Amino acid sequence: MNFKSIDLKAYKNDPLQRKKAASKVGSWIFKAFRIFFLLSVGYIIIYPLLSMISYSLISRVDLYDPSIVWVPKHFTASNYTVAVEAMGYFKALWNTVYKCVFSALLEVASCSLVAYGLARFKFKENGLLFGIVLLTAIVPVQVYIIPSYLNYRFFELGGVIPFINDNIVGPIGGWFGNPELAIPTNLINSPLAFYLPALFGVGIRSGLFIFIYRQFFLGLPKELEEASWIDGAGPFKTFLRVVIPSSGVVFLTVTIFAIIWYWNDYYQSIMFFNQDFPLAVSLNGITGVLQGMGYAYEKSLGPTMAGCLLFIAPMLLMYAILQKQFIASIDRVGIVG
Amino acid sequence: MAKLGKKRRVRGIESKKSLYGRMFVLPWEIGIILFFLVPIGQSIWYSFTEVWLDPIEGITTYFTGLENFKYILNEDPKFVDNLTTSLTNFTYSLPIIVIVSFIFAVVLNQKFKGRVLFRSLYFLPVIIATGVVMEFLTQSVGGNQNPIIQLSTDASNAYVSGGIDFEGVLNSLNFPAEITELMAKYINMIFNLLWDCGVQIVLFIAGLQTIPEQLYEVSKVEGATSWEEFWYITLPMVSNTLLLVIIYTIIDLLTKTTDPVMTQAYNLMNMNQNYYHSSAMMWMFFAIVGVITAAVLFLYNRICARRWN
Repeated sequence: MNFKSIDLKAYKNDPLQRKKAASKVGSWIFKAFRIFFLLSVGYIIIYPLLSMISYSLISRVDLYDPSIVWVPKHFTASNYTVAVEAMGYFKALWNTVYKCVFSALLEVASCSLVAYGLARFKFKENGLLFGIVLLTAIVPVQVYIIPSYLNYRFFELGGVIPFINDNIVGPIGGWFGNPELAIPTNLINSPLAFYLPALFGVGIRSGLFIFIYRQFFLGLPKELEEASWIDGAGPFKTFLRVVIPSSGVVFLTVTIFAIIWYWNDYYQSIMFFNQDFPLAVSLNGITGVLQGMGYAYEKSLGPTMAGCLLFIAPMLLMYAILQKQFIASIDRVGIVG
Repeated sequence: MAKLGKKRRVRGIESKKSLYGRMFVLPWEIGIILFFLVPIGQSIWYSFTEVWLDPIEGITTYFTGLENFKYILNEDPKFVDNLTTSLTNFTYSLPIIVIVSFIFAVVLNQKFKGRVLFRSLYFLPVIIATGVVMEFLTQSVGGNQNPIIQLSTDASNAYVSGGIDFEGVLNSLNFPAEITELMAKYINMIFNLLWDCGVQIVLFIAGLQTIPEQLYEVSKVEGATSWEEFWYITLPMVSNTLLLVIIYTIIDLLTKTTDPVMTQAYNLMNMNQNYYHSSAMMWMFFAIVGVITAAVLFLYNRICARRWN
């Protein structure tokens, strides 16, 4: 009696085992297809970055050599030094950090509060306010940039600030021997033109951020907050101690978007500042500067691409750092659900 | 008496809660009044008036009622065309973007080797596509043909499609010329849409990550197929994110600077200093965008929210 062969036959014909084997093959096919799919589309996405790197490293001699496609024969870093000089890179980088990144962080905080109010509390004008949130998301800043320029140029709150200056701040300044003391009414060229809207939750793309937060807060289970209410914590304490720790993913998402969109903002920076421009403005003007430095036409290709890379490099770095946090915060999500 | 007291207490908590809600929203309301409503109101007002800019007297406006709207609809040679083009592009782009980005998000959310790498890769469009760098990629650099992109024949559309010459590939297959051209156009358009998917993918991934793992474990124990898992766990749990992505995509597609209607309005405003017609165009367009958004919200509340929540 060949016990083994019978066993094997039965094993092979067992529907469960057959299903298992089939699903194993299926999962291999699926995995191979997944990698193929991700790589092929990824190629389209990474192509501009790779060609930017290639063109930024290529020396001018190699640019005319048709045998060179991706890897130059003569590497050169001179494009980067030229780009750093043309953009005033380090100064512009500092301007970007203290104007744009700081505003972005203010916005991350202020929008979360508004969204929490809209998502968790029922009051009469809730729906109307949500409509206004969507309106701020729909209307692009270009539409109202000129009226808001005038608004910042003469930031008087309908005469309130001049009144305070004349009757309160001025006399106080007078006592201390400085009668010129006043609250500034011209916010053009001041980082306040970025900080104030961000602080009040109406900065760049704030409508969208409020909407993102709101949708995520709606999905949070209410039980933890109710427990915290019963324990006697107020709404703000509940928000700080319960809601923020359990919504790490959305806070990180909004932080990443806010920093990137402030970093990429060109339109408002060029309107509201006359000097100390952030990186986006200096990158936008790089062609003109390069021409002035004698790098016209095809000579400007290398430095321009180097400039683009220098512009996106800090954002990539930030994403790489926050990505790790992202993965760490996922583990915490489980606690909530 | 006791009943009455209880009722009053309940109402007390409710009114307290609405007070708290208003406290959370108050700073934003101030911001809206200071930084948004005044400029917006001015822009809306311009669309009902005729505006002159004078270096000495400043801005003069003259109320003309609906004249501007009548002009752009009946007499402007391009507005209605641009509006239809814009809405047609929008109609086919919206489902493609939402579905494609959802598929990518689901795949990128799976656990496999190199997932962090791929996620960073698929994040690149968010960094590049919203800024100055994209302009350098889609324009000629220093007066030369940009080596990175293909400029299509009409030169107004730039395709960032990996330097692959689809038209050449299709030509070598010996199809009739019209079909080749059309196919190349649509393939390039789909690749261009990829660049609009970055934000949506990130939002979907974030939404997928908030689904607690236990739900899937339970469904496995209960013997659900992955198809059922998708329909009864994944989709309901990301429904909030889905609404978010759809509305973001609507707004992003319609109000980006490359949209035909927006381009026309910006050109009128910046080059011809024509604030009244451009404002009328924009506000009419925003009204349409608002109606589409409201319709999506309404449908979502009617169909999805009832089934899933």
